[in-house]
Amino acid sequence: MAAAQGALATHRRAYYLYLIPGAVGFLLIVLIPQIANFFLSFTVWKGIGLPRWAGLQNYQRLITDDQFWGSMIHTVLLIFSMTVIPVLIGLVLAALLFDYVRDQWGEQVSSFFRAGFYLPQILPVTTAGVLWGWILSPIGVVNIILKSLGLGVIAQNWIGDATYAIWAVSLMIVWIQVGYCLVVFMAGLSRIDPSLYEAAELDGAGWWQRLFSITVPMLAPEIFVVVLTTLIAALKVFAPVFVLTAGGPDNATLVPSYLTYYHFFTTQRVGYAAAIAVVQTILTIVLATIFLRFQSRQQATE
Amino acid sequence: MTSLSRLALVAAASLMLMSSTAMAQQKTFNIWWFEDPVSSEGIAWTKALDEFKSKHPDVTVNFQQKTFQQLQASGSMILNSDQAPDVLEYNKGNATAGLVSSQGLLTNLDDYVTKEGWDKILNSGDLVLSKYDDKGIYGSGHVWGISVYGEYVSCFYNIDMFDKAGLKVPTTIDEWVADMDAFKKQGITPLALGAIDTSGQHLLASLAYTKADDTWIQNYQGLKAPLDGAPYLYAAQTLVDWVGKGYISKDSTGMKDPDAALLFTSGKAPMYVSGTWNLGNFASTIKDFKWGQFVIPTPKYSVGSTGNLWVVPKGAKNPDLAAEWISLTLSPKYQTELANDGGVAIAADPATITNPVGKNAAAVFKQISDKNGLGFYPDWPVPGYYDVLNQKDTGLFQGTLTPEQFVDQIKKVYDDAQANQ
Repeated sequence: MAAAQGALATHRRAYYLYLIPGAVGFLLIVLIPQIANFFLSFTVWKGIGLPRWAGLQNYQRLITDDQFWGSMIHTVLLIFSMTVIPVLIGLVLAALLFDYVRDQWGEQVSSFFRAGFYLPQILPVTTAGVLWGWILSPIGVVNIILKSLGLGVIAQNWIGDATYAIWAVSLMIVWIQVGYCLVVFMAGLSRIDPSLYEAAELDGAGWWQRLFSITVPMLAPEIFVVVLTTLIAALKVFAPVFVLTAGGPDNATLVPSYLTYYHFFTTQRVGYAAAIAVVQTILTIVLATIFLRFQSRQQATE
Repeated sequence: MTSLSRLALVAAASLMLMSSTAMAQQKTFNIWWFEDPVSSEGIAWTKALDEFKSKHPDVTVNFQQKTFQQLQASGSMILNSDQAPDVLEYNKGNATAGLVSSQGLLTNLDDYVTKEGWDKILNSGDLVLSKYDDKGIYGSGHVWGISVYGEYVSCFYNIDMFDKAGLKVPTTIDEWVADMDAFKKQGITPLALGAIDTSGQHLLASLAYTKADDTWIQNYQGLKAPLDGAPYLYAAQTLVDWVGKGYISKDSTGMKDPDAALLFTSGKAPMYVSGTWNLGNFASTIKDFKWGQFVIPTPKYSVGSTGNLWVVPKGAKNPDLAAEWISLTLSPKYQTELANDGGVAIAADPATITNPVGKNAAAVFKQISDKNGLGFYPDWPVPGYYDVLNQKDTGLFQGTLTPEQFVDQIKKVYDDAQANQ
């Protein structure tokens, strides 16, 4: 053992070589742009030419920018549609597919549904967005069906009315996210000892009881991972908003990433866009840290 | 490590050697545009490019189809890199062509204007948007780009539906309203509109321009004074009135331009206000009825301009070939070709045009251009104003903003840009 470890130590320098590609990638794609972005947030810059130092001007503007605060409120709503709801639906669906559908109709049917629910993750968001745009348009499929069923009263201008637009975007996001949660949870389920379920069943536990007493606690690690990744995704959501509503109507679906994009590419206030991105990054890091702390404490008590 | 780095050096050196010999053997000419392949410009330019290729067998011509969005989002960064082509189509205006010319990213075309005789083909009005000063403001300074076509916003209308209802093409706003009212009484929503996209703000501006004089247009487009909101207030009040009377559907806030255009091309809506970039599409998709276009009644100014510019990046390796290309697209042959493909030719002889759509468009453009009535687009003066107008006019259409609030909010953004230019 000791000899093997000694050999490892002498070879350690050689192992660093393998870290180089990853480190270079991290440096070029993550660290350097991050630092550059941080400095740009203190400047006024049009994207070309030389940036001009502006101190805290961009951050002062941010504090009084209604659009920015509106976008933060939408982010809180989108945490529900990106994280909370997909995790809940994902859990129930995964449990259903795993111990009910598979038992009743066999492995193939279960796999078919798993693949089906995962499909939105594979589809390019732009394609999905165009399709959802057609479905939700005032002259789209949803309203045509509602009207033909005599339910014309419920038909709304889904993506063009500020009251509904954020929910329309949320619906598309839930549809995209459920598959991701489902697949991770199903992978986790296959690791749980089936005898636990058998024992619970013998003791007379119902399906929901088994879900909450066995599945949820045993899946805790997977749930943590999924919640963390989707939470980060919720904080930086961009594509569904971009393709479906472009932040409208009248900024009713604006999110921070879209605001960053807007200022970077169209108003050419690159410094201001950088400031929004910095706030977004800090918020993500803080939330992720709190969450990871919470998770490690939780695991320590187990 | 050392052997590895030596290997890398050798590999890099041999790569460089290979590419430089390749360059010496064959001259390459890179050209980009973003007009859709089925648009009139796309069709005419593709034919012109074939002729260009056959004239220069020794040159490898690389054409790349871009999208408007691509160049809108990252055009300045591409021009600032060594990836820039020899000639490309670029969006005209202060925030785009003006900005990159002021940053020294384009080749000055002053000499070519006389050498290639472009000043004899284009009148001074056609060159207004070719010139940008050292701050990137259009109207004066060097020539940085050349436009070879025109565009304007007008009202497309369904001639069959007008005839059936016994209505005439309006020559005043009041007549226009009367036509819309007649359709509404028959249970038809007269005006198709995609408020998420451009047609909302183009209708808004078309109405505002009916109350605009020379000073207002010059101040507005030149960012010369804080916004005088009166024309916009009139336009906003009119639109709110029209939505209330049912001339425009409230649902338009959930529609994009293609959705609204579909209402027109499928014969459901008799009118649709949009730009001449629809001509190619309408000519090829509308089979069931006769259609035409009328200019929105206005004392002088219409929403419209000369088209996008051919620009030559600073680092272009073949500026002479680029100039030759521009001359080719301006030549009578390809101007007529453009008009016959349904485009708005800037310098075609009307007698040679056989396509009625292109013939009419060239005539209307000349009519607006001759009275100096090109009022340009409402989003030009302020970078990012396009999105501001889109967001705010949806507020107006869905009733969450009053006309006064609407004007206040767009004025705030305008005045902010005006004070900080």
